[in-house]
Amino acid sequence: MIENRPGLNILSHLVLILGVVVVGLPLWVAFVASTHTATDFMSGTIPLLPGPHLIENYSRMLDSGVSTSGTPPVARMMLNSLIMALAIALGKIAISILSAFAIVYFRFPLRGLAFWCIFVTLMLPVEVRIVPTFQVVAGLGLLNSYAGLSIPLIASATATFLFRQVFLTMPDELVEAARIDGAGPMKFFRDILLPLSRTNMAALFVILFIYGWNQYLWPLLITTDAQYYTIVAGIKRMADAVDGLPQWHLVMATAVMAMLPPVAVVIGMQKLFVKGLVETEK
Amino acid sequence: MKRTIFSNQLLPWLLLAPQLAITFIFFLWPAGQAIWQSFLREDAFGIKTSFVGLANFRALVDSPEYMNSLQVTAVFAVSVTLLSMGVSLLMAVSVDRMLRSSRIYTTLLVWPYAVAPAVAGILWWFIFNPTIGVLPYALDLIGYDWNHIQNPNQAMGLVVIASAWKQISYNFLFFVAGLQAIPASLREAAAIDGAGPIRRFFDITFPLLSPTTFFLLVVNIVYAMFDTFGVIDATTEGGPAQATNIMVYKVYFDGFVGQNIGSSAAQSVVLMLLVIALTVVQFRWVEKKVEY
Amino acid sequence: MASITLDNVGKVYPGGTRAIGDVNIQIADGEFIVLVGPSGCGKSTLLRMVAGLETITDGEIRIGDKVVNKVEPADRDIAMVFQNYALYPHMSVRQNLAYGLKNRRTPKAEIDRRVNDAAEILQIGQFLDRKPRALSGGQRQRVAMGRAIVREPAAFLFDEPLSNLDAKLRVTMRLEIKELQKRLGTTSLYVTHDQLEAMTLADRLVVLNAGRIEQIGTPLEVYRKPASTFVAGFIGSPAMNLIDARAVPYLPGTAHAGTVGIRPEDLTVAADGPIEMQVQAVEELGAQRLVHGHTAGEAITITMPPTAPLSDTLRLTAAQDKLHLFDRQSGARIE
Repeated sequence: MIENRPGLNILSHLVLILGVVVVGLPLWVAFVASTHTATDFMSGTIPLLPGPHLIENYSRMLDSGVSTSGTPPVARMMLNSLIMALAIALGKIAISILSAFAIVYFRFPLRGLAFWCIFVTLMLPVEVRIVPTFQVVAGLGLLNSYAGLSIPLIASATATFLFRQVFLTMPDELVEAARIDGAGPMKFFRDILLPLSRTNMAALFVILFIYGWNQYLWPLLITTDAQYYTIVAGIKRMADAVDGLPQWHLVMATAVMAMLPPVAVVIGMQKLFVKGLVETEK
Repeated sequence: MKRTIFSNQLLPWLLLAPQLAITFIFFLWPAGQAIWQSFLREDAFGIKTSFVGLANFRALVDSPEYMNSLQVTAVFAVSVTLLSMGVSLLMAVSVDRMLRSSRIYTTLLVWPYAVAPAVAGILWWFIFNPTIGVLPYALDLIGYDWNHIQNPNQAMGLVVIASAWKQISYNFLFFVAGLQAIPASLREAAAIDGAGPIRRFFDITFPLLSPTTFFLLVVNIVYAMFDTFGVIDATTEGGPAQATNIMVYKVYFDGFVGQNIGSSAAQSVVLMLLVIALTVVQFRWVEKKVEY
Repeated sequence: MASITLDNVGKVYPGGTRAIGDVNIQIADGEFIVLVGPSGCGKSTLLRMVAGLETITDGEIRIGDKVVNKVEPADRDIAMVFQNYALYPHMSVRQNLAYGLKNRRTPKAEIDRRVNDAAEILQIGQFLDRKPRALSGGQRQRVAMGRAIVREPAAFLFDEPLSNLDAKLRVTMRLEIKELQKRLGTTSLYVTHDQLEAMTLADRLVVLNAGRIEQIGTPLEVYRKPASTFVAGFIGSPAMNLIDARAVPYLPGTAHAGTVGIRPEDLTVAADGPIEMQVQAVEELGAQRLVHGHTAGEAITITMPPTAPLSDTLRLTAAQDKLHLFDRQSGARIE
C-alpha cells in the first residue's frame, strides 16, 4: 500500500465481502435446503435459514439414499469416490516420479521419443477421445470396476514434468556423492530422491486428489452398476428423478457431502494446495 | 541436463513402462482409433462399416447444428473467461491492498476450486430453479422473468455463471501471485510521479501483470472448452434448442446417445486439433512471456 | 592406502573437443598432490576422472595396482569432498557420515566406532544429530571431510573444498586439512584455482593449462624454476614480471631468450641499476609496498619496503641468478 486512503480501503473490503458472499451463496443455499423437508419447498421459494432436519436428511442419505433414483446410499458412493480419488492421486504420483527419474537420470536410446509420448497425453484429454477410450476399456473388461475407474486416468504429463523440474534443480553433486557412497540407481532413488521430493509429492497429492474426486464424465461412462457409482456422477442421476420433481433437500444434502472432502482438503492444506497449483502450471 | 547419470540401459525402460503402457493403451491407441473412425461410416444397422474419406468432416461443415455448436462454444468460452477473470482480478487487486486480512479472504475465496463442475452446475441449477430458486424469485420482484428451461439466452447465462464461479479461485490465486511479483518500488515510483491509484493500476500494474493475464487467458479457454462437460450435463444437457450444446458435449451426445460413431470421431479429431493448437500456444507463447 | 598412477590419460568429449590430453602423474602412497590452474583448465575434470564420475577416453588410471578405468566410483576405494559439500539435506550429520558405510554393509558397531572417531577428530561431536542446514559453512565443511574420513579410503579427492568459505575460515581450514592429511597419511589429490592454497598444501604441485600438464614439482621447485611462462605468471603473488627480452638488451645472458622473467621481489632499487622504471601507481599493503610502472613499454611491478624513498623514476637492478629465461615461441624455460 502506497498512500493511506481510508476510502479506498473501505471500498476494497466492500468488494471482497461482496465477492465472498457471491462465491459463498451457492454453498449457503445448498446447505439451507439440505436442512428442510420436501414440503418446505412447496410454498414457492426455499427458506433462507437452516431448518431442523439436518441430521435426519444427512443420515437418511448416507444410509439408504433415494431408492427411486437407482443410486446406492451416499456412504457407498463416497467410498467409491474415495477409492477412485486415492487410486488416481497415488497412481499418478507413482508412475510419474518413476518416469521422471528415468528421463532425468539416465541416457538411453529413444529417450526423446519416450518423453514425447508422455508429453502428448497433455493434448489428449478424455473429452476428445471419449468413444474409442470407452471401447478399449470395455474390451479389457474393465467396465464397472475400480481399475476401470482409475487406471485410464493415471497417465500424467503434468506430474511427470513437475518431478522432472524438481529433479533437475537438485545439485549434481548429490548423485555423485551417493555414487561414491556406493548407492546404485534404485538406492539413490529411495534414499535420496524420494525423501527430498516429499513436499512436492504432498502438494501434488492435494491437487490430484481433488482432480480424482471431481471426475464426472469418465465414471458416468463406465459405471452402469450402481455399486460403482461415484458421488459426483451419482448426484446427477439423483437430480434426474424419474418421478418428476427431484427431492431437492436430499439432492442438496448429497451435493454438500460431495463437496465436503475436497473442500476440506483445500482449506485444511491451503499452503500445500497453492504450492501444488502453482507448481503444476510451470 | 544432468552432468552425472546412471549407465543402466534396461532399468530406465522398466521405470517408464507403467507410464508408457497406460499412455499407449488409453491415450495413443484410442486417439488413433478416433482418427481412423473419423474416416468410416456405419450403416443404419451397425453391421457394415465403409471407408468414406473426408465425408464425415464434410458433413460436419454442412451441418447447421455443428456450426451452431462452434458458435455456442465460442460465446461460452469467451464469456466464462471474461467473467471469471474480471471478477478474480478485481478481488485480487483488492486483496493485494490488505495486510492482515488477506489470508482469511483468500481462504474464503479459494474453496470453489475444490467443487466438481457437475456439482457446481447442480448448485446453480437449484439457485436459478424457475419454480423454487432464490434468484428467479428476487428477479421476479424487479419484474424480470427468469426461466432458463425455455429461454436459450438465460440457459447460456446459467452455465456461464456456474462455470465462471468455479474458476474464480484459480484465477484469483494466480492474479494474487502475479501482483505480489510486481516490485513495490515500481508503484511507489509511479506514486511519486503523481499517479493516483487508478492511474497506477492501468499504467503500471496491469501491463506488468500481462504474463499472468495471458497465461490465464489460455488456461481459462481450455477450461471452458474441455472441463465444463459436467456443468452442461448436470444442468441444461445442451438445451434448450441446442443453445448450450458446446462441442465437448456434442461429441459425447452424438457418440453415446446418438450412436453416430463416425461423426463423433470426426468431432473428436477437430477437438484434438484445437487442444494441440492451444497447447502449442501455451508452451510457445507463454515460454517467451508477454513482458516488457 | 595406495599410490595413484595416471598413464597417458586423456579425455575427448563426444563432440570431439579435447578436455584432457597426455596426462602422466605418479602419486606416491601418502603423498598430497594439488592440481592447480585457471578455471577451465581441466583440473576438476581430471579429478572426476580419477573418481570415476567422468569417463576416460585414453590412457589408464591405476589406484594401487588395479586399473580402474571402468570401475564404478563406489568400488574405487576413494572418498571425495565436494565444493558445495553435497551433504544429504534430509539426513542428520550422523546419517550422512554413516550412509556410505551402511551401503557397504559395514557392521553397525564398526559404523558407530568410525563415526565417533571422525566426529572427535573433526570436533563435530555435538552436531551429530543435527541436519546440515542447521550448521554453519565451516561446520558443513567438516562434516564433508568426516564423510570422507569414516570410509578410511585409499585416497581422498578434494574438489575446491574451501572455495565456499570466507577468507579467514579458509586459512584455518587449510591448516586443518594439511594437519589431518599428515596424521592419517592418506594419499590425497586436491583441486584448487588458488595458487596460495596450492603452495601451502602440496607435497607436489601439478600445474595444468588447457587440459595439459605444464609442470610437476614441489612448491619451491615450481616457484624457483617455473617450467614455462604460463607457470611463471600463474604461481607467485604478485605475479612474476615477464618482459620481452628486446626491451632489456643490456641484461647479461639474455641474448638468446625471448622472454625474461623477474620476480617483483628480485628487482631492487639501486642508484646505478641498469633498468629505468617509470612509476605509474603505488599500492600500500602495510608490510610492503607494490610499485607498478613500465620500462621501455613493458609493464613491471616491484615490491619495496614501505619506508623506502619514492620518485617518479626508479633505477633497478636484478641479480643474474634471479633471471628466468623463456623461449619466445614455446614459452618453455631455457636453462
